[in-house]
Amino acid sequence: MKSNHFFKILNIGILSFIFFAFTIFANENIDERVKNLTLELRCMTCQNQSIYDSDAEFSNDIKKIVKQKLQEGESERNIKKFLVERYGEYILFRPLMNYNNIFLWSFPFILLIIGLFFVLIKSKGNKV
Amino acid sequence: MSRIFILTPLIVLLIICIFSLTYLLSGKDPNKPPSALLNKDVPIFESSSLYNLKDVIKTKDIKNKKTLINFFASWCSPCKIEHPLFFEIRKKHPELYLLGFNHKDPTADAKKYLENDGNPYHFVGVDSDGLIALEFGVFGLPETYLINEDGKIIFKFMGPITKDILKNEIEPLL
Repeated sequence: MKSNHFFKILNIGILSFIFFAFTIFANENIDERVKNLTLELRCMTCQNQSIYDSDAEFSNDIKKIVKQKLQEGESERNIKKFLVERYGEYILFRPLMNYNNIFLWSFPFILLIIGLFFVLIKSKGNKV
Repeated sequence: MSRIFILTPLIVLLIICIFSLTYLLSGKDPNKPPSALLNKDVPIFESSSLYNLKDVIKTKDIKNKKTLINFFASWCSPCKIEHPLFFEIRKKHPELYLLGFNHKDPTADAKKYLENDGNPYHFVGVDSDGLIALEFGVFGLPETYLINEDGKIIFKFMGPITKDILKNEIEPLL
């Protein structure tokens, strides 16, 4: 009878330990995700500092909202989208992969190809 | 014909240079990026009045009227600089609805500020947690937005507005 009571208490103890361990792990995991995400975001009121590194009021607000949204189960992609919709792409250190940016990155190569094409035509014309 | 082929890349390069120069000389400050919300619908908000918590303003309340939204606080010194201009705007454009959002300010301080400097706004909403400012993409006070009758943001200005900005940028839109 006494041992039964002991095992009940032991079981409750183990379950409580598991519960608290999970809670601590989940919080640490969220903090880590907040850190990783805010390192990719620009503090709009600072000189080239990330939101994570900055202690400005704006950065603290964004950290708070990012943490809240992660806790609500929102994906990092959705959080970035939420911030870009309000602050523009400028808030991201790494630009988005959209048509505008793809055009911007590929434009020098397009110019190079056009240039080579003209050089080729010219050199062919000279041979004839 | 071959001359046109040779000249085309040069013409393209010249056009790019003209575009770049126009942008550089336009006086746009790269540290002040354009608002992502410009020409988009005004964000959904709900705010209690500074003077009566039961008096609430919502996004739908500013539909069908031109509204000038100003984010301010008693602790913001540049806000004090532009503050008198809002009286001028209200006098010159009585049809324009002036909505002030008091940002992260203790109620008593905000009331005292508006008591001392005057209250030019038709409605002063409270944004104590800064969530309304976040929806508007505010990142420094003061910030001013002009909303048209369709509920679209047609103008945004970061920093204190001046007589020149009022005359050259805001008034043509009214």
